[in-house]
Amino acid sequence: MFAYVVKRLIAGFFVVILVSMSIFALFWYGPQEPARPLCNLETSQRCTPERLEVYTESMGYNNPIHSEYLKFMKGIVAGRDITIAGRTQECPAPCFGFSYATDRPVWGELKDRLPATISVAFGGAALYVILGVPIGIAAARRRGTLTDKALVSTFLVLSSVPYYLFALMLWLYVTIVWQVPGLSDTGYVPLSENPAKWAAGLLLPWLALGIFGSTQYTRFARGSMIEALSEDYIRTARAKGLPTRTVVYRHGLRAAMVPIVTIFGIDLGTLLVGTIFTERIFDIQGIGLWALLAVGDKDLPVVQATALFGAVVMIVCNLLVDLVYSALDPRVRLS
Amino acid sequence: MRRSKPLALLVGASMLTLAACGGGDGGDNNGGAANDDREYAAADEIVKNPDRAEGPAYEIEDATEGGDITVYLPGDPGPSTLEPAEGWSVTGNSIQQALTNRSLTQYARNPETGGMELIPDLATDLGTPNEDFTEWTFTLREGVKWENGKDITPEELAFGISRTLDAEAFPSGPGTEYSRHYFLDGTTYEGPYTSGQPYKGVEVNGRDVTIKMAEPFPDMDWWGAFMAIGPAPLGEAAAPPKYGRDPLATGPYKIESFTPTDELVLVKNEQWDPATDPGRHQYPDSYTFKFNADPAQTDQILLSGNTASETVISTDLDSVNYQKAASELGDRMVQQSSQCTSFQYPVYDKTTKGVRQAMALAIDYEASWLAGGQVPGVTRVPANSIMPPGMAGKPDYNPLGEPTEFNPEKAKELLAEEGYDESNPFKIVMIYYEPDPLAVKTNDQLVRGFEEAGFDVQAIPVQVDPYDIWLDPNNATNKKLTLRGVNWCSDWPSGLTMLPSLLRTGAVYNTGGYSNPAIDKKMDEISLLPAEEQADAWGALDEEIQTTDFPIIPTAYRNDLFTHGTRIGNFFGDGAIGAPNYKDLYVISK
Amino acid sequence: MSLPPVSTETLGHLSDEPVDGGPAGGGKGKGSIVGKSPIQIALSRLLHDKVAVLCLIVVVLFALIAVFADALMKLFGVTTDTVRPIGLIDQLGGGLPLIGPPNNGFDPEHPFGIAPGTASDNLAYWLAGAQTSMMIAALATLVASVVGVTLGLLAGYAGGMVDRIISFFIDFFLTVPFLLAALTIAPIISERFGAEPNYPTIQRWTLITVLAMFGWMSIARLIRGEVLSLRERDFIQAARVLGMPTRRILVRELLPNLVAPIVVSVSLMLPTFVAAEAGLSFLGLGVTDGKSWGQIISNATDYFQTYPLYLYEPLLGIVLLVVALNLLGDAIRDALDPKTRR
Repeated sequence: MFAYVVKRLIAGFFVVILVSMSIFALFWYGPQEPARPLCNLETSQRCTPERLEVYTESMGYNNPIHSEYLKFMKGIVAGRDITIAGRTQECPAPCFGFSYATDRPVWGELKDRLPATISVAFGGAALYVILGVPIGIAAARRRGTLTDKALVSTFLVLSSVPYYLFALMLWLYVTIVWQVPGLSDTGYVPLSENPAKWAAGLLLPWLALGIFGSTQYTRFARGSMIEALSEDYIRTARAKGLPTRTVVYRHGLRAAMVPIVTIFGIDLGTLLVGTIFTERIFDIQGIGLWALLAVGDKDLPVVQATALFGAVVMIVCNLLVDLVYSALDPRVRLS
Repeated sequence: MRRSKPLALLVGASMLTLAACGGGDGGDNNGGAANDDREYAAADEIVKNPDRAEGPAYEIEDATEGGDITVYLPGDPGPSTLEPAEGWSVTGNSIQQALTNRSLTQYARNPETGGMELIPDLATDLGTPNEDFTEWTFTLREGVKWENGKDITPEELAFGISRTLDAEAFPSGPGTEYSRHYFLDGTTYEGPYTSGQPYKGVEVNGRDVTIKMAEPFPDMDWWGAFMAIGPAPLGEAAAPPKYGRDPLATGPYKIESFTPTDELVLVKNEQWDPATDPGRHQYPDSYTFKFNADPAQTDQILLSGNTASETVISTDLDSVNYQKAASELGDRMVQQSSQCTSFQYPVYDKTTKGVRQAMALAIDYEASWLAGGQVPGVTRVPANSIMPPGMAGKPDYNPLGEPTEFNPEKAKELLAEEGYDESNPFKIVMIYYEPDPLAVKTNDQLVRGFEEAGFDVQAIPVQVDPYDIWLDPNNATNKKLTLRGVNWCSDWPSGLTMLPSLLRTGAVYNTGGYSNPAIDKKMDEISLLPAEEQADAWGALDEEIQTTDFPIIPTAYRNDLFTHGTRIGNFFGDGAIGAPNYKDLYVISK
Repeated sequence: MSLPPVSTETLGHLSDEPVDGGPAGGGKGKGSIVGKSPIQIALSRLLHDKVAVLCLIVVVLFALIAVFADALMKLFGVTTDTVRPIGLIDQLGGGLPLIGPPNNGFDPEHPFGIAPGTASDNLAYWLAGAQTSMMIAALATLVASVVGVTLGLLAGYAGGMVDRIISFFIDFFLTVPFLLAALTIAPIISERFGAEPNYPTIQRWTLITVLAMFGWMSIARLIRGEVLSLRERDFIQAARVLGMPTRRILVRELLPNLVAPIVVSVSLMLPTFVAAEAGLSFLGLGVTDGKSWGQIISNATDYFQTYPLYLYEPLLGIVLLVVALNLLGDAIRDALDPKTRR
């Protein structure tokens, strides 16, 4: 077990390294003039060739890419001083550089924005399960009936509507057209500042995510439940005369939860990496919106940091999924 | 002053609508009835009022303290830096000059006349010129402080003024046009950061600061209303580019956080003393400016009238919702004309006069406004002259003999005269801003018009602010262009702030590269005329330029539509700058 | 395990397959090669499934629309050319059309009405949007499947170092946030190729590449798992002992046994790509010339109250296509899986 975790962590580490290299290389080789975004910003769009050369040189774009990459990685571990165009700033570890747009350390800003994204992600993910699983189980138990068919087709159509449109429509109708009290004032207020406002502001984003995401869980829960209910051991349990309720919830649910845990872990990871559409539509200053803005501004340090953060979160979530998975399904041995 | 929104490069010309809203009639320019045929109020002429010199500012009736105001700026990326010496955009200057940065003079609304006037700010009066306007003396007010509690010294004021001469450090700042042209040694002194030398053109004597000119500059009091002509901390403390992220505030609000293209949050500056400021107020607790806000979402919030909308202001209204807003918001939809003109600027040395005239006839003005989400006749008005309505001396003439309208047939004839036909078409190379769908649609209409007139068109999509390309002489794409654009607003109501900025040889925003030494000379001569003759002289020059060379195509006079929530008190447009008047706002308490 | 129809938040990758191959992945459809001709059985099952047949008809219809979009435009007498909106658009009335919906009756010249503001023909753009959607989804699926199948076969059959390297890349691509990658690549492409005359084509191929790049992993992993279990079967062992060349074993012996999982993967990949294309063009990535359902939707959201038809047309296209593809995919999977009975 321990060896397995270590092995997975090592593999994950290499993936993160490769991700960081790819992003680094993409910004190095992709644009014709990688130093231009910062140069443009700091000279108010009057980045002459001479100035551009100053930035290109001081940002290290004239050096070999591997040595600059090593500098970048060293900064993450040990911190470093960054000198651009004659201005030196100390960047303590973990150093992801300074945001071009705000001139603040990227790490600090990441920490500031994380609570909003975590709030959105966990709330939304919780609703996935809370809404999706019971409905799916209900459908599975009534398999073939009109209720089942109605539920399945409704959710299928719903999940085929593009998410951004679903969220936008939800926002438009709830806050503008109907002005539902309590739901209309969306936005992020820190939990520590005012728990009631925190929940009120996020309720609608959670619902948007939850309702939409739960469509998948309904399908999965229904499918796995049907599969589980047709397994031999369930049939045995039934034959022994156990009440249906017990069979369904004690035996069937446990087996059906296995694939659900898997996608839940991945979904949570995906949400943590950034809920771009949700944050954009409901105006929440989280990681996703930050990444979207940074890409628009060509804010390289921020893009790098968000991509790396995303990779790490995905790897950790996957590892956790597998651990939980082995605990739930005794047939699975981690090796 | 440039519009920070170059995205919709829109166009227009004919005198039809203009007659109804000719400039300078004063009076009731805001509010207006909530019906569709409301008359468009033009910008008032701005007057000087040296008598309004003592703080505090006019008490606003019923105004209450507290509350937070959110300003949405749809489709407007906002300033990229808050550096006062770089500030030359409507959005940035309107916010900073009203709330955070004080300068020698300022604009403020006169509640009795309803018009904007130029009044003293950090200086005790509007300045004292010598006889021939080659020396101006301003006296720094007592008791004015930085946000950190330190007193503002005359030396800091002098230093701030000398910074505007540093074209290397502040290459897009207004100082490149005014300080460098009029101040003593403006062209030779390279600025405190680049040269490392102190500036000799500004002298400090007690609390008096005297600015020496290289040539007569009667408009120094107007120029003093720019935040660039304000104090700056001495030495390296205010060195660029760092200072532009978080400049020290002198006004009633200070910067809490600033993320370019996204958000600016201002909170109360406790060190600001109302007794020292004749023009500003400090009613709301905070201001939040949301740049690049989603237009549809912003309109929906305001139209909904929900609780979130109560303390919201929007600086733009999507034409989709114009009718609805007019009927539902009533007085809360405010039309403000700004002294702005949009231009297409053919590249001068790659075109002939005939080709430029053909271009002017090949632009489908109204179609491109419509496609770009504008309301023809309301937010875009056909233009004929370079100077917009509301400016003293604005001439009325038709550069092509009759009102310029979309006329591809006539354009074809003109092109034929120049030797271009189907087998040998003139090639228009231009750019458009691809991330904005409205800019793409506008571009489609422009291309269609040009092609109908027989031009060969290459429209290149770009991902950056078009000004980044137009203003960069070394950009490979820019070198290929035969048509550029510019949107320009007057810096103060004088042709001096329109014509030289756009048409003088080598001026920063002369994107078409127009150059005519005789015209340059005439511009210099006008500054030497007696002040009262200058306005008409600029108007005459406007007409002369367009009839002799036709270097630039005025496409539209721009007007803005502002909307605000039910609990925003005392909302008016600021006709001096073409933005909401942030100085006098308050939140109506529940 | 099936692919989800739409990733809720596409910042992540395109599939919900777990990273790192762990126990969660692995071989599905262990029994899918039972019987003499599973494909024939499946086909007959499929043809008896009314829903599946209906969906198949819908999908084929969309495919025909995509292929013959230009001819259809001619037939209806509509074009995607820019038109002069003066006289067609109500200047003060929010830019709404003066002819056809929403305020006037049906206009036979513009069966779907015209767009507000620009007055371009909705039907023409709808057809072009269908073409874009189908073309991008189909080509991306093709590229992703070819890459995925090839790498899956290689990894599963060769094993050892090759397997490890390929598995590492599978994990790698599953880890990179998809939307972030797409967001990063789009402006770079535009900067590099914006001035090219065939820029729209380049944009479409970029999109196909990006989608395929982040879509091949699930199929590769699936094939790898299948091959791992097939490799030890007698008939493969026999072929090996007989000295059959590896390439022949892969193509002649293994591939036919993998048809079922490949068909299932492909049928589930298509709707994901259709939705992803629309999502990206909504964010302003990918296709920017207006000939995409996602882009029409993003324009049309402004009019959701005043001109809802403008919004519903592309929306209906996407929903119908994605639902049909999803249902068809489910039906194919069910038909190929002997364990499920409808």
